[in-house]
Amino acid sequence: MGLYLLQQIVNSLIYGSVIGFLAIGYTMIYGILGLINFAHGEIFMIGAFTCYILVTFYQFPFFAGVMGAVLASVVTGLLLYYLVYRPCIRNKAPIVAVFIASFGASLGLRYLFMMIFGDQGRAFPAPAYLRGMHMVGQIVFSKRDLVMFVVTIVVMLIITYLIKYTKVGMAMRAVSYNIKIAEVMGVNTNRIIVTTFIIGSALAGVSAIQYGLNFGIVQPSMGFTPGLEGFIGAVIGGIGNVPGAMIGGFIVGIGEILFVAFLPSHLSALRPIFVWGLLFLILFLKPTGLFRPNVKYEGTWGE
Amino acid sequence: MLLQINDITAGYGESNVLHKINIQVDKGEIVSLIGSNGVGKTTTLRCIMGIIRPKTGSIIFDGKNVNKFSSHKIASAGISYSPEGRELFGNLSVYENLRIGGYLIQNYKDMKNRLEWVYELFPKLYERKNQIASSLSGGEQQMLAIARAIMPSPKLILLDEPSLGLAPIIVDHIFEKILEINQSGTPILLVEQNSDLALEVSKHSYIMEKGQIRLEGDSKELLKNDYIKNTYLGVA
Repeated sequence: MGLYLLQQIVNSLIYGSVIGFLAIGYTMIYGILGLINFAHGEIFMIGAFTCYILVTFYQFPFFAGVMGAVLASVVTGLLLYYLVYRPCIRNKAPIVAVFIASFGASLGLRYLFMMIFGDQGRAFPAPAYLRGMHMVGQIVFSKRDLVMFVVTIVVMLIITYLIKYTKVGMAMRAVSYNIKIAEVMGVNTNRIIVTTFIIGSALAGVSAIQYGLNFGIVQPSMGFTPGLEGFIGAVIGGIGNVPGAMIGGFIVGIGEILFVAFLPSHLSALRPIFVWGLLFLILFLKPTGLFRPNVKYEGTWGE
Repeated sequence: MLLQINDITAGYGESNVLHKINIQVDKGEIVSLIGSNGVGKTTTLRCIMGIIRPKTGSIIFDGKNVNKFSSHKIASAGISYSPEGRELFGNLSVYENLRIGGYLIQNYKDMKNRLEWVYELFPKLYERKNQIASSLSGGEQQMLAIARAIMPSPKLILLDEPSLGLAPIIVDHIFEKILEINQSGTPILLVEQNSDLALEVSKHSYIMEKGQIRLEGDSKELLKNDYIKNTYLGVA
């Protein structure tokens, strides 16, 4: 039993990281603009598709596919900001309108890809050097998971350093807490917002590669569930709190896999219950999340 | 003239709060803007910072018309702002709040020097530099709000109600610091409800009523003015 649990935890780490990286994107963008970027799941999907297209259709080396994925995610994120969110903010659109625009962008991108590719799963290319297993004691580690885990740690360290110690990171947190005052202090808030979209989207790209390698498929609707779970991870971690989002994402991702692992197999369709139950509990017991949110709660929304 | 506000009318939505306001601040001096709650003092400062746009009139700072500048451009032109209610970044440490205050300083060494000077002026802040801002006492928060505003070596500081909600002894301490900052060469536009104090520290004062300047003049003279004595002094 202990061994089984350990093996399941090892298996779920990468999924935790997939959700964690998505959660960071949600939390950063929500913290700064006060809006939920529902299309974040599509930024993720487009990243995965780009890698798939580059490697499978055009025979690019896998690493180039990864770079392409991150780049495509960033471009998608920036396009969403400039074409959808910025016009909304400029015209002082009510929060409901932004909400609907965000949802529309998400559905639009998803169905556009469905029209082009159909919604059947396609095999995500995994390079030969990531195949193979290692045994440590009686626990199986796949080479792929080990590499991805190292990537996760490195990316997390970079992000933590960036947010915590650099001037841009400080400005991002300040903007997240109070955008108007940050602007008055001389912070070019538009530039900070753009930076946030770049970082959040790049992480979605990394997350997409991890997802693709972990599950071996890409499909246009692949962003939906991880996207929702990433959002829930962000809520659990405290909105605007970047390390919190990563931890929240791990809680959702790992918890979900363990939940299924210990459920009789004919009940595995109950998997979403775990995530929604978790969201319900958090909203019921501690609606601001487990860690300190980095936003200033005011009476009105999106003012 | 460092700052010249000419005939500005401004407000929120349809209604106007300010009606043709004229204010001038010269280099080196403390100018106070006095008035009771809701007469438009904070709105005036918000106009200067570009948070709200005046509907008519112009704001000339250091020879430039800053009417249409966005807030961060106005900050880089050299105006810094310590807003009403302090508005610190509650989740950032004291040090980080000061770093954001000095966001416009390009050079790390200049920033270090400036930070040293600020810590010298407010030793309390040095003691608490790694504490998050929302955990400070009211007086310390006000000190931080002022310290944050002086970080970029501004050409002009706008101080909105630095005495608000503080015990008299702390108010005195903070006003000593304000004078010290001014003596180091930085002009200040001070908004206050505490008229005794404001008239005492400033060189020139404007008395605001219902969105208009009711009276202006040398602060020493205004202290003797009967209308001021009866309406404003001894009540704060």
